[in-house]
Amino acid sequence: MSRAAERAIRAETPNADQAAARGRLEVRGVSKAFTVNGAPIAALNDVSLTVRPGEFVALLGPSGCGKSTLLRLIAGLDRDYKGSIVQDGEAVTGTSLERGIVFQEPRLFPWATVRQNIALGLKNAPISEADKRAAVAAHIALVGLDGFAEAYPHQLSGGMAQRAAIARGLVNRPRLLLLDEPFGALDALTRARLQTELQRIWAHEKITMILVTHDVDEAVFLGDRVVVLAPRPGRISRIFDVPAARPRARSDDDLVRLRNEVLRTLEHDGAADPQLSPGSRSDA
Amino acid sequence: MSDAILETALSTRRAFAARGWREWSGTMMLLALITRAKATAWLLIFPAVTLPIWIIGSERGWLAEQILPRPADVLHTLNEMLASGELAQHVGISLLRVLLGFAVGAGAGLALGAAMGLSRRVDDHVRPLFTAIAQVPALAWIPLAMLLLGIGETLKIVVIAKAAFVPVAMNTSAGIANVPRALVEVGETFRFSPLQMLRHVVLPGAVPPIFTGLRYGLTHAWIALVSVELLASSEGLGYLLVWGRQMFWLDTVLVAMIVIGIIGFASDKLLAAVEARLQRWRTDGV
Repeated sequence: MSRAAERAIRAETPNADQAAARGRLEVRGVSKAFTVNGAPIAALNDVSLTVRPGEFVALLGPSGCGKSTLLRLIAGLDRDYKGSIVQDGEAVTGTSLERGIVFQEPRLFPWATVRQNIALGLKNAPISEADKRAAVAAHIALVGLDGFAEAYPHQLSGGMAQRAAIARGLVNRPRLLLLDEPFGALDALTRARLQTELQRIWAHEKITMILVTHDVDEAVFLGDRVVVLAPRPGRISRIFDVPAARPRARSDDDLVRLRNEVLRTLEHDGAADPQLSPGSRSDA
Repeated sequence: MSDAILETALSTRRAFAARGWREWSGTMMLLALITRAKATAWLLIFPAVTLPIWIIGSERGWLAEQILPRPADVLHTLNEMLASGELAQHVGISLLRVLLGFAVGAGAGLALGAAMGLSRRVDDHVRPLFTAIAQVPALAWIPLAMLLLGIGETLKIVVIAKAAFVPVAMNTSAGIANVPRALVEVGETFRFSPLQMLRHVVLPGAVPPIFTGLRYGLTHAWIALVSVELLASSEGLGYLLVWGRQMFWLDTVLVAMIVIGIIGFASDKLLAAVEARLQRWRTDGV
């Protein structure tokens, strides 16, 4: 990112440090059931989790463990659940500009340019048109898409489209950014590069991020904590602290050791459920 | 390494944007022209084959002149009718009927289609009746409509409107209901109001099916026009057809057919152009 863009983003939030004190999320006793062919299926069973302001939490688990479901509940896209979800003292009762979300598919509007797509995120933001324009430009720069502002989604590569989606998720300056397997559909090189970029953006923005993934390396590389979920019904099986200093290197011995430990937990969870093969990486 | 590859790709595209764009778009335009020319050539094959057969056939008297007049005669009649203003009068009245009927029918179709596409409730209540009405062709409504409305202009407008209404309503409701849920969710995360959702997500997403409906609607409006003018009119292109047949003026019949075909083709192209304009993002750039 250019220095000018960084300055623009800073100027827009003079109280960035104050904002950093927010973004606390409390999930208490959340259960969620779907009805399949008339029979209720438990997707989440009594999940409780507290996320600190500015923390990076990775929700890790095999397909069907309910991690994406949990993220949708936090986002406010699904209000049909038991338990409570509270962000910064306010109960989540629907979607909010305080919570940005990046989906697995970029979900850009195909009829709008990158700039228009990001600007649409600000439609209901209580700031002036000039500030909106500045914010859009700053976030295009933040994700490294300068020069592509006027491109349409079908002209972008998968990685570029996902960058645009990240910019769109951040443009409202939410206190919490939710990421639902955002790099799952990308090739390995692009994925690695975007993981590094996300780490940089997180450090720069100082906001809380919750990342859903089934990629152990990704979870360990990015997370302050890795929350391992087990399936049927979806529940928290174990929480790992990742003490490694940032910025991190993938080859860090501590990270590699932790990665193996997380993998063992996943295999153990899988072994308890005969229907699930350990290390299964199929998409949810 | 990935960085290097990406940077190369980025700088290549930037270079394109800076220097090569004009040449690039020039090349693309030339390619588009060639494609265009090829398509036109294919279009002309059918007339190129049938026209000589028609000319030779009518010269040699394969069919009686009363049944298949010579192309030269048809052309002559066309010129005559153009010069006398007779053709313009018939075309004018028919165009007016189609435009009025289409405007009423398509307008109502858009409104009902949007209501059915947006609201489960409206759809549940209205669709059975709508489907039943849609299944009865516009032509079959004419006898009843005649008794109710007489054989004046109202009858024609109503029958044409009905013909345009059905495909427009059907495609609009399907198009709106099928806007991807994933994109609607994005709108929800931005806290879009219902109006914003309509303006920024639903309508842009439903443009292709809505236009398919409008084009079908216009075609059906033309068909209905000819039918209703055949039955109850003393002017217009449909009337020209009936009158020409009764008088055994097959050249007049052919002129009317050709004019109907040309106008229908032109109006469909016009709608296609409007649609392309609304969907520039599909073709813009590479």
